[in-house]
Amino acid sequence: MANKPAPKPAPPKSTASDEKRTFEPKYNWMNKTRQWGVRVRPGKAGLKLGDLNVGIYGETPTQWADQSRNPRGAVPRRGMPPVGYSIRDKAGLWADCAADLYEEAIQRRWAPATDVPWDTIEPLPDDVEHAVCQVCTELVGYANVDIETITGWQHQMSYGYHEVKQFLATASFDAARHYECFRKRALANGGGLGLEGPGMVNRMILESRGGWTEAVVYLLVMRGAFTMTLYKYLGRHAHNDAERFIYAHALADKARHVTYALDHLKYAVAHADDALQVVRTLIAIGEGGLTRDLRDPVLPEALAVIFAGGVAKAAGRGMAVYGELMGDFVQTYLGYCQWLGVPRDPARLPPPLNEYANPNNAERRVSPQPKPSPNSFANAAGAANPKNAGA
Amino acid sequence: MSEAANGAEQELDLGWMARTGPWETRAAPGKYGLTIADISIGDYGEAPEVSDNLTGRPRGAAARPASYRIGAYSVRSKSEIWLDNASFLYEEALQRQWSSATDVPWHTIEPLPDDVEQAECQLATFLTEVEFVAGDVPARWVSLTTPDFYEPRQVLLAQVMDESRHMDVFRKRALANGGGLMQATGATSGFVGSIDLSRDFTEMSSRLHVSGEGAVLTLFRMGELMAQNEAEKVIYRLCAQDEARHVAFGVMHLRYMSETAPERREEIHCYLDEAEGGLIGAANPVGQLTPTSESMAIILGGGKDHFDDGMNKIIAIRRRQLQEYRKRVISAGFGERFENGRSRVAQMIDEAA
Repeated sequence: MANKPAPKPAPPKSTASDEKRTFEPKYNWMNKTRQWGVRVRPGKAGLKLGDLNVGIYGETPTQWADQSRNPRGAVPRRGMPPVGYSIRDKAGLWADCAADLYEEAIQRRWAPATDVPWDTIEPLPDDVEHAVCQVCTELVGYANVDIETITGWQHQMSYGYHEVKQFLATASFDAARHYECFRKRALANGGGLGLEGPGMVNRMILESRGGWTEAVVYLLVMRGAFTMTLYKYLGRHAHNDAERFIYAHALADKARHVTYALDHLKYAVAHADDALQVVRTLIAIGEGGLTRDLRDPVLPEALAVIFAGGVAKAAGRGMAVYGELMGDFVQTYLGYCQWLGVPRDPARLPPPLNEYANPNNAERRVSPQPKPSPNSFANAAGAANPKNAGA
Repeated sequence: MSEAANGAEQELDLGWMARTGPWETRAAPGKYGLTIADISIGDYGEAPEVSDNLTGRPRGAAARPASYRIGAYSVRSKSEIWLDNASFLYEEALQRQWSSATDVPWHTIEPLPDDVEQAECQLATFLTEVEFVAGDVPARWVSLTTPDFYEPRQVLLAQVMDESRHMDVFRKRALANGGGLMQATGATSGFVGSIDLSRDFTEMSSRLHVSGEGAVLTLFRMGELMAQNEAEKVIYRLCAQDEARHVAFGVMHLRYMSETAPERREEIHCYLDEAEGGLIGAANPVGQLTPTSESMAIILGGGKDHFDDGMNKIIAIRRRQLQEYRKRVISAGFGERFENGRSRVAQMIDEAA
């Protein structure tokens, strides 16, 4: 006991009891509200984001000057350094359907790891597997551009239009799912990733720096309509339930993105000076970029191999179905343009878009085709040799 | 007229069939389905230390020499963003998605005394305000990160989705029970050293994931104490589950960074110095005494008349926040700061005793 060291003096410190003693609540935040007594009730589909838009909480002004994260309808705190939102005009992002699309996206969530019946995938002929993997590689690339574009703009959108920010969170998450899903498909059946895409449309989308609306035209209308059409045709020609599931669900996701895009553009052209002309100009320029990608043979050929069930009939039957796909895409695209108030003259579309726009070509596109050249198949057979892999 | 359009036969090139990434890859689903860990096989599982991919090419795909350099990625070093369990966190995020519209039993909310409802609404306003910092900021970094590091990007994209749901669930709570939104705090404005303004990913992550969301996670885990009804309990429980993933991202990334880029350790300590100051700052509802902490005291105490009881609980939560923060930093590999006198956390814990 005698050797017990002397206790150290306790350092002076403030304690919880000091804090309680010295603190008197001010309650000066109480009763600071712009609208009280709000009682939103859940409806048949639960308590949805759009249900909250009552009274002042539903007022979305045409401009949102506040550069803080002040929630719409809350009492702002003055004098705070701005966060730096650059998109503060409603016309620059708004779509009335955003809140509903947000809730729909959440309800329709899926997990590629466990919802896709991967065990239904069986080995395919090597040429077909090559084609599937090539298409998946391009679709991973498309999803990548979705991700990078949406996330590049999302943080620039002001809090006053939170519904759009929230919907875009679902859209970028959808794209993440597409990214992994098509990568998984490419690596699940004895194949691998193929050749990266040509990238002109990617470039056009990513270089849309003038505003979110501009990016929407390229990403969600032009590329979006094309991607939806691809999913539709790939679903029809799926080889197993796993692929059918993937394309059907990716199509449903993409349809939401395109719905937002059309609603937003409709709003923009109705509410922003010059927006109609700008969209018209963007579309005309964009068609040029799109046709450059379409002239690249890789995607059309891979699709043709899938549609024909192999290289042997790809040049004939496969390319005929590809022609149908393109015709379908062009008609969809022209319909969107018409609806937005920027009708396109099919005859004045750049080639080859104008050719697919002509319904008179339809019969010829599906007419029986001669056998493909043996040389073509020789190229494909060479690709199947593992020695050529990684080229 | 193109041949596909006019139906004429054309000879296919098919040269692309010889231009692939590694072939004969056959990833098989495991117990948890086909996860992204399962497809990280062979060369496809190898993320480069430094990425030269400026075209957005999927990792492992064959490159086109003529591709446009459209990536403009600023995050191209693996140590800047990588973590070893990204695949797990991403797949878990997908499995644990929830809907604030239908998974919260909103019908269990009953009218509360006015002081408690005001406090609930003040806290909900604060959380609506701050939750999407963690959506805005990770989104920006995703757009700056090469797809060669797609695994951490996927986790960040899941986080943006989670935060979007958090923003909406607290707005819903504020407007569901006869109240409304109250005054914003400005806690997430553009201050130097804020999460928004970080120009380095790890700096941002140490502030956002480790200290900021770590503090919020402790708070949400106290949901049983804070909740007035089953709806609020569910909200806090589900939000805590999401936040735990985000915090895990930050801790695991710091650990990876610590092991692979030791030259940055001192710099990281500087961020942690700043973060620790923030743990008792105005952005923390159980930090210094602010409108939000006053509202928390009312909620935890059960009304203005029990404010002191609420304050006791606040201080207990703050102590727990600090203890959990210390554990996380130790787990991340920066525990020496608690031994060498650099960190004030021990003193802060004592002060909250």
